Amino acid sequence: MYVGVLAQTLVNGLFAGGVLALVSIGLTMIYGVMIIINFAHGEFVMLGMYLSYWAFVLGGVDPYLSVFMTAIIMFAFGALVQRLLVQRVMAAHILNQIVLLLGLSILLVGLAQFFWMPVPRTLQLPYATAGVEVAGLILNIPRGVAFLASLVIASALYVFLQRTRVGKSIRACAESREAAQLVGINVKRVYMLTFGIGAAVTGVAGALLAPSYPITPTVGATWSVIAFVVVVLGTMGNFMGAFLGGLLIGVAEAFGGLLLGGDVKEVVSMLIFILVLLLKPQGLFGKADS
Amino acid sequence: MTETLSPPPKIGHKAFLWPGWFWDILLDWDRLQVAGSLLIILAMAVLPIFVTASYYLGIIVLTALYAYVGISWNISTGFAGQLLIAHVIFVGVGAYTTIVLLDRFGISPWLGIPAAGLVSGVLGLVVSYITLRYGLKADYAALFTIALMLAMSLLFNKFQLVGAAAGLGVSFHGESLKMMTFVAKTPYLYIALGLLSAAVAVQYLVYRSKLGAYMIAIRENEAAASALGVNTALYKTLAVLISTAMGGIGGGFYVVYVTFVQPGQVFNLSFNVAIVLAGPIIGGLGSLIGPILGAVVNKPIVELLRGALAAQRGGTDLIVYGLFLITFMLFVPKGIAGLLYGPYDSMRRALQRRG
Repeated sequence: MYVGVLAQTLVNGLFAGGVLALVSIGLTMIYGVMIIINFAHGEFVMLGMYLSYWAFVLGGVDPYLSVFMTAIIMFAFGALVQRLLVQRVMAAHILNQIVLLLGLSILLVGLAQFFWMPVPRTLQLPYATAGVEVAGLILNIPRGVAFLASLVIASALYVFLQRTRVGKSIRACAESREAAQLVGINVKRVYMLTFGIGAAVTGVAGALLAPSYPITPTVGATWSVIAFVVVVLGTMGNFMGAFLGGLLIGVAEAFGGLLLGGDVKEVVSMLIFILVLLLKPQGLFGKADS
Repeated sequence: MTETLSPPPKIGHKAFLWPGWFWDILLDWDRLQVAGSLLIILAMAVLPIFVTASYYLGIIVLTALYAYVGISWNISTGFAGQLLIAHVIFVGVGAYTTIVLLDRFGISPWLGIPAAGLVSGVLGLVVSYITLRYGLKADYAALFTIALMLAMSLLFNKFQLVGAAAGLGVSFHGESLKMMTFVAKTPYLYIALGLLSAAVAVQYLVYRSKLGAYMIAIRENEAAASALGVNTALYKTLAVLISTAMGGIGGGFYVVYVTFVQPGQVFNLSFNVAIVLAGPIIGGLGSLIGPILGAVVNKPIVELLRGALAAQRGGTDLIVYGLFLITFMLFVPKGIAGLLYGPYDSMRRALQRRG
């Protein structure tokens, strides 16, 4: 009985954590390569959610099919944002970068309110709350899919960054911009690509969240802050760190909720965050002097 | 962001009809900025003669308050280069201090607002200790303060003494100078302008003192400042202390004026942009007049957009404001003060040649 409850809590925590991980990967990747904190990150999640909502309402396309379209649109959008806006403040003061991206986030919230009205939207899917029972554990389908997708996307990105030529050039730019330029890497193109991939992953995260969370124009702010916490926890710019940090927070919140009641679960993640900050301020996966 | 200090130049006053002190101010960028700030404050003080609508007076009160909070942030971030992005934490904690003292203990805001400065200052010391002790660098310190803001929001949401999620409000028992409650907006305006004038003075004194020189040295090159014998930890802490204590006082006045506070309202990224970030960055971070210029431009723009476009389809005001911020960052990266400095400098050179 107790084992069953614990196992169920673990599964719930991992599922929630997978979503957190997916939401955070794009942020940490953009930071790792460009040292830019994307303050419009949450709005990218929001756009992903609305794209999937639009595809469903206007075209009747299932969110799990439209997610591919969302990825492509968000990639193009991210690359465009990088080229038109972010590239121009790459050398500027960090606060100018932050205010520029906050301006973008305000603009996106405004556009969302304009096109979709500030009312909460939900995707009416037959399987939104459906679960399957496996070995006595109830697995919620949308969250399970989101968890699996985050595993797949994180692994695919990892292989892409480690093995492919383009991936290696991205990592080279993250290591040293000048050195990458010297060996003939087109740094501007790599930045565009990275921002595009970051936006695409984040948009996909939003699309996968759409079946299980209400969609509003201002939903992004919450996700932004959560992603910041996960990314700091897992060391900023560290790809696997964000992934594991997301899972850790998901599991910790699930067990915190089990032990202390549902409404204090965020406090648990905050406590972890503060402890990590005090004991290992570079984050869980940071080197001592980075 | 950095203007070099130049000694007041000697010029022949006789050729001009203006008195000497006029040239002393005109030819010294720092003094000119202070004079400009005081003129703006004076203009805000006489505005109630022409503007009587409560709605517009309310905007002026908040503009003065936002300028004040902007100055408080300018000292730690603009002068000393400490990236305490979520400065709103200290404003929020100050607001809560004042309202808890008022609501739970019946203590007048005249005492509650200084107490807010004390509490926020202590919190600022703690934050400063953490960032120094653990060597949190720029981006990390920035995100740390944002995470701290979220933690505060969660904490205040759970804590019954501060009203939990519902927050706390000022109960109105009629007009009373002793309890800082007024029916009209003008008394609030004069309190806000008093705070703002004090902030302008404090900012100028800090800037012109050794303290300010050390802070700017730390901002420009911390390693070099340290090598020259500047106690960087001490001056960073002092900058944060002054900044956060002033922020807390601003929060105390904020809650007295808007009469209620909730966790999600103050520990909030959008509120942080509105009350802390937008003004100084639009006006010119690190300059003396920047926070005031920024607030005077930003706050009315936000309010007028909201007023003018409220009848339009939802979101229009946010679209315009977002575009405004983006355009501003792309084309006026050093803020209005940075924009004005170029023409000012050539004018000064021309005058000096003539003199």
